[in-house]
Amino acid sequence: MHTGHYISGGAHGLLIVWALFGGMFRSDPPQLEIADVSVISEAEFAAMMRPQVAPPPVEEPEALPQPEIEDAAPEPPVPETQPEPRPEPAEPEAAAPDPVPDPVLPTPEPEISDVAPQPPAPEPVPDVEAPDIALRPIPRPAPRVAPEAVPEPEPDAEVAPEVQETVERSETPDVTDAEEQQATSPEAATTEIVTEAEDPARAPTASMRPQVRPNRPAPEATAAAPEAATPAPEEPAPQAPAPTEDATASAIAGALEEALSGSPSGTVDGPPLTEAETDGFRIAVQDCWVVDVGSQAANVTVTVGFDMDRSGQVVGASLRMLSSEGGTGSAAETAFQAARRAILRCQGDGYNLPPEKFDQWKRVEMTFNPESMRIR
Amino acid sequence: MKQFLASFLAVMVLALSAPMTALAQSGPLRIEITEGVVEPLPYAVPNFVAESAGAQELAQQIARVVAEDLTGTGLFREVPREAHISQITSFGSPVQFADWKAINAQALITGAVSQEGGRVVVKFRVWDVFAGTELGQGMQFAGTPEGWRRMAHKVADQVYSRITGESGYFDSRVVFVSESGPKDQRSKRLAVMDYDGANLQYLTGGNALVLAPRFSDDGQRVLYTSYETGLPRVHVLEVGTVQSRILQGQDGVMSFAPRFAPNGQTVVYSLTQGSNTDIWAMDIAGGGTRQLTSAPSIETAPSYSPDGSQIVFESDRSGTQQLYVMSANGGEARRISFGQGRYSTPVWSPRGDMIAFTKQNAGRFHIGVMRTDGSEERLLTASFLDEGPTWAPNGRVIMFARETQGAQGSSSLYTVDISGRNLKRVRTPEGASDPSWGPLQ
Repeated sequence: MHTGHYISGGAHGLLIVWALFGGMFRSDPPQLEIADVSVISEAEFAAMMRPQVAPPPVEEPEALPQPEIEDAAPEPPVPETQPEPRPEPAEPEAAAPDPVPDPVLPTPEPEISDVAPQPPAPEPVPDVEAPDIALRPIPRPAPRVAPEAVPEPEPDAEVAPEVQETVERSETPDVTDAEEQQATSPEAATTEIVTEAEDPARAPTASMRPQVRPNRPAPEATAAAPEAATPAPEEPAPQAPAPTEDATASAIAGALEEALSGSPSGTVDGPPLTEAETDGFRIAVQDCWVVDVGSQAANVTVTVGFDMDRSGQVVGASLRMLSSEGGTGSAAETAFQAARRAILRCQGDGYNLPPEKFDQWKRVEMTFNPESMRIR
Repeated sequence: MKQFLASFLAVMVLALSAPMTALAQSGPLRIEITEGVVEPLPYAVPNFVAESAGAQELAQQIARVVAEDLTGTGLFREVPREAHISQITSFGSPVQFADWKAINAQALITGAVSQEGGRVVVKFRVWDVFAGTELGQGMQFAGTPEGWRRMAHKVADQVYSRITGESGYFDSRVVFVSESGPKDQRSKRLAVMDYDGANLQYLTGGNALVLAPRFSDDGQRVLYTSYETGLPRVHVLEVGTVQSRILQGQDGVMSFAPRFAPNGQTVVYSLTQGSNTDIWAMDIAGGGTRQLTSAPSIETAPSYSPDGSQIVFESDRSGTQQLYVMSANGGEARRISFGQGRYSTPVWSPRGDMIAFTKQNAGRFHIGVMRTDGSEERLLTASFLDEGPTWAPNGRVIMFARETQGAQGSSSLYTVDISGRNLKRVRTPEGASDPSWGPLQ
């Protein structure tokens, strides 16, 4: 109930104590300001208070002696050879019809001194001194443009379609007797055409930036991503006969027809070509398909049909153009010739196809579509 | 039940007649190929057979020029002669394709040369080695011994055409400005040469400044701008007689940047009156003129489309130099260039599908190509100064002038494939600029 009184009493007590011992009632006098005083006489005071009398005017002062100035300004020291204005290298002489033709014909003959100072030579462009942040890998200057980049071959290696190691006859007879052969490697190739204007090795495209400190661990989702992104490759399921009545009937009819026709193909029934086998065939041909990217034929998609024998070789006479799209007759014919050369040139001793599936590849329809090549 | 019976019957028939027969095949194997390679096609040119006593040297020279022409395109690669397995000793003898296949020559060119008196006959054949067939039919050209280079170029044109399906450009000439002396005291003369720099001839003296020569489509006349009278004036020169005359004259008026229409009867050019430059067209025979543009800006460098229906030109009406296309009769123009930098000297391709131009951007000059609607712009070169593109007659190669930096810098001619590959210099005895590629002869 008397909390307020206690607080008030305590506070007043503290105030009294502070007043008594805190120095409030100290008797020390404050420090006085001290000024120096000097005693002067009355005459001196009168002299001080007398108004100042201006000094008698003086005659106009004479002009200060100025240094003599010659009429002709001193010329800066003349160099022995007058430097000529430096020709502007950035303004090329317009040789072509210029938008603004200058109506000048009597071009003044410029004086040319034998000892005219030469303009400083342009600084050579540094090759790749500065750090270069390229958004894409710099393609090698290989003459061949192929789907996959191939590095420069070893100097001793011969360029050949198939890569092989060097085999030399050794002094000590070996158990496995291999024939001597020279090392070969595929021809160097880049993946795209790089024009002079696109040459990326001229100057840095961006300055180097400090690396960002990794602040967070990589999300765990990346571990699971590949699994989700790339499903396990599955073997294409063998073509199971459709359980419909029509399919069965047509299959039986076909089998009967073939059986009754008596054509002894001599092969066993086999599954269709696997994806790997088809890819191997396609890659073998595309390595020989030379596309002239600047030609009209590069606009033509052509489909070529041909037959093959059991050794994997093309029956030359069976090569024919089945269809073409995107160009005139001449361009289509050129596209067909390029496709035909590709098929014939890369067959070697025969394409590597499984003989037991001959029925699957004895007739081929190959479409050559250069659309993705044109963009390069 | 019915199905079971049918199946049973089928099995019985198969078992009895052909136990190992395959089931019916669904159809041919279908494969799509979307990736190829870009590389020169290997070919072989053995020395042509000399069918007369004195033709040995000529036969070798002609075969060499044919090889230089083909290899110079960048589309072909000659298999060195040291690699040849079999030799061609007779023009009519059968070709051993296996020998040429073994050295990976895809095409083979055989030929023969005979010389009797002042007449030289060159005949040739082109073979598809891997197909084992002849490409086209044998052909022969006859001419004088002095014209052997032209005959060699004609052979190369035929080979090029048979393999690529497009016409060649080897038997063609280029008119250009030949330059001598330092940059600030340069003498300029009109000159004409073969596309490869051979057979150079001068068409004018060095007393007057000449600029921008342009071949007519038939290659018989050359338009150019000369300062002979004091002001720039368009002249026309007959190549055969080397006689020139002022195409049109009007006091106080400058005319420049002329170019023939495809029909050869009309000339389109720029005319400056006061501070305004517009494009005009003139009928050569009648002399009648008509104004095609009337903007207050500078319009110049007109070039016709191959069908003569449109004109591409440069204009600064938007503030910077850009390319525009309008009807050949004038009227409203549409802008086709929208990239950074300044575009100038547009030239329509002989194929009609592209426009070559000079581009200045970020302190460098480029030669580039774009579609006629301005899409698919592609820069082919980059240097201190590249300018003045001109198309080969087949629309496949671009020639232009490149000038080097500095007071001692000189100008020379270069060619580049429209894919941006195969950039190379044209041999000229002196400096050269302002090329104009003539038609196939």
